[in-house]
Amino acid sequence: MRKSKNMIRRGESKVLLLMALPAFSIYAVLYLYPALSNLLWATRRWDGNPESEPETVGFRNFTYMFSNDDVFIQSLGNNFRFMLLVVIFQTGFSLLFATYLTKNTRTTIFLRTLYFFPTILSSVSVGLIWLALYDPNYGFINASFKALGFESLALNWLGDSRYALYALAVTQVWFHTGQMMVIYVAGLQQIPQELYEAAQVDGASRWQQFKHVTWPMVLPTTAVVVAYTTIQTFRAFDLVYTMTNGGPLNSTEIIVTLIYRNAFFGYQYGYAAAQTVVLVVVVLSITWLQRRTLRLDYGVK
Amino acid sequence: MKVSKSAKAFKLLVAGAFALSATIVPISGAIANTPNLGAKCTDEGMNTGTTSRSLICVKNDRGELRWARVKLSSSGKSPVSASRSPAGSIEFHHWRGEDKTVFDAIIAKFEAANPGVKVTQVIKDSTSYQATALTTIRSNPKAAVFTTFRGGQFNDFFKANMVTDITNQRFVTNNVIQSALAPATVAGKVYGIPYHSLFNNPLYNADMFAKKGWKVPKNWTQLLAFCKTAKADGIIPFAWPAATRGNAGQILNSFLMNSAPDLATIEQRVIDIESGKADLNSAWFKDMANKYKQMNDAGCFPNNVTGYNDSVAPVDFATGKAAIYPTGSFGISSVTKANPDMKGKIKMFGMITTDDKPLYEGITNNTFILSVNPKSTSRDQQIARAFISYLAQASVAREYAVGTSQHTSIVNVDYSANVDLLNVSDIMGKKLLLAPRFLFLNVAQVRDPMEDALIAIGGGADVNKTLTDTSAKIKQNLGK
Repeated sequence: MRKSKNMIRRGESKVLLLMALPAFSIYAVLYLYPALSNLLWATRRWDGNPESEPETVGFRNFTYMFSNDDVFIQSLGNNFRFMLLVVIFQTGFSLLFATYLTKNTRTTIFLRTLYFFPTILSSVSVGLIWLALYDPNYGFINASFKALGFESLALNWLGDSRYALYALAVTQVWFHTGQMMVIYVAGLQQIPQELYEAAQVDGASRWQQFKHVTWPMVLPTTAVVVAYTTIQTFRAFDLVYTMTNGGPLNSTEIIVTLIYRNAFFGYQYGYAAAQTVVLVVVVLSITWLQRRTLRLDYGVK
Repeated sequence: MKVSKSAKAFKLLVAGAFALSATIVPISGAIANTPNLGAKCTDEGMNTGTTSRSLICVKNDRGELRWARVKLSSSGKSPVSASRSPAGSIEFHHWRGEDKTVFDAIIAKFEAANPGVKVTQVIKDSTSYQATALTTIRSNPKAAVFTTFRGGQFNDFFKANMVTDITNQRFVTNNVIQSALAPATVAGKVYGIPYHSLFNNPLYNADMFAKKGWKVPKNWTQLLAFCKTAKADGIIPFAWPAATRGNAGQILNSFLMNSAPDLATIEQRVIDIESGKADLNSAWFKDMANKYKQMNDAGCFPNNVTGYNDSVAPVDFATGKAAIYPTGSFGISSVTKANPDMKGKIKMFGMITTDDKPLYEGITNNTFILSVNPKSTSRDQQIARAFISYLAQASVAREYAVGTSQHTSIVNVDYSANVDLLNVSDIMGKKLLLAPRFLFLNVAQVRDPMEDALIAIGGGADVNKTLTDTSAKIKQNLGK
């Protein structure tokens, strides 16, 4: 009896494996193989010409990147600054909006839809809209500052290497805050109402309720939001490409735009492959660190 | 006081006649001036076509306007008609989304003339096209006809054996202005037809210049003086789109053309920078960079120029806020689209950046190189050749040119139906250099950072620091 059950299980698992095969094949061909072959290409130097033989250079691409490539180091720094700004402000604003818009009333649903709206636009459209807004001579932003008497704040937003990255970060926050807000609303709606009632009975203020009930209960959602936002900032290719193309003087260059430039304009495929390896390692490390920090925090509570 | 009906009708008639004459006279007046070689002409720049037999109205040594020969070498042979195409379907890959409608109409006629043939346009924007065309076309044999940019991209296709030798095709030897074939010729063999004859020189608002009594600057001192005059008048002298690298780099052509005593020196200097033998701190380059700074100091550029992009610049020029749009003949269509009233008011001048006798007076470029895919089947290659031979017919090239405000490299094309093409044609009578900016073949590692540096300097950045920093970047790029 037991034998036949085992046989059935074995049979079942074979069927299950067989059923997973199509999905796994697609995954293997489209993701696994390119990812693994990318590791190999990262140790080569090749100009993309099928007539020329790739040269194996070992770890030279990696050592060169960190010792001799100022633009790469600058891009890495830009990416970290961009990430930090966007993670802080996007998470902050989305949580703030979500706490006010958790309840399902006509007004809150309308406002949620309104805030979510930018998310459904394509990145290129968002880039073009903000390009017009930021125009130093005719844009709405500078026109508003001038009209309000703040002439000194009417800056050359995207044309000055001191401000361009911050201007892009503002656009990115505007673009995705609504999306993160929706995730937060879902998380907040899961918090049992009794916890707030108990806190109110204990005489907790609104801030205390947020600090001792909302924040700890919403930490798992925050972990998702922060991780997702981080990844978003590392792949903000289209926005950067449309608005500044990495300029002025590489001040808004991030790793993905640099990889694109090296591979498709510089024809340095091996070097670009090595940079993608660094990108993956960096994103994985940051995400792991964030999740660890937030989980620990949650555990202590 | 009542005005009678007949008086009203008379007024309307006079107004109508005036409007009609105002529209027709400037165009017909010049053409009506019998264009005989050496005879007087009245409208500088008017011409009768682009073959070497065409005439153009230019100033002679005594400063008199006379009909002269256009200095273009033609094929010198009788053009041949388009070859017949076998039935089948191919793709035509290019980057000119703005030409889609015109090409659709041309393709429909080609298909009607060759039953069973289907040509589908595959269009990407120019930046994506530069980045991905080689990979896409190499793996797609159906992409039997494609275009490449002169310089880096054509070079990449050639190195990858992705262009077919068409040297002996009769439409190549007979229908194309032979000097225009240079960018697609390697070791005496022709691998494509550069369909576009571009003129990468500043466009100016001739109407505004006439009304303000301004003279087109003919040397460096006059150029800086003009900037000060125009700025004092509240006009942006040069609507330089510095935030859009592609078009911001067009004036580099003008700076390069007179940066050395001869062409060989210009070419050698480019090679030296690309090979890392010299850097941007070289005296000649620093001298050129200083001129960008001088232009900035003289108020030539708009405020916040490094944030001034190429969607704003043509509009400023089209709406009379700017006097000069320093890009090229390809910029005309965006200007007239922004303001149809600019039709017939745009002219072109060679930007001279020296006070000495200039080596060259203007820039030309031959690009949009039409080639046949060697990976395609022989039947598809035959269709591709037939299609290119069809595009190389003067009547077809005329339709394309008039519809897109774009000169072509095809002989015997009559441009008179497009007043803007006629108006910028006087540049053809000058000593032109094939755009030297494209001598830089290493776009990502050398040309882009170099142009970024010049843009920053044009925006007021320190010359020495910017050139030193960028030289270091280029050195690192070349060592990767």
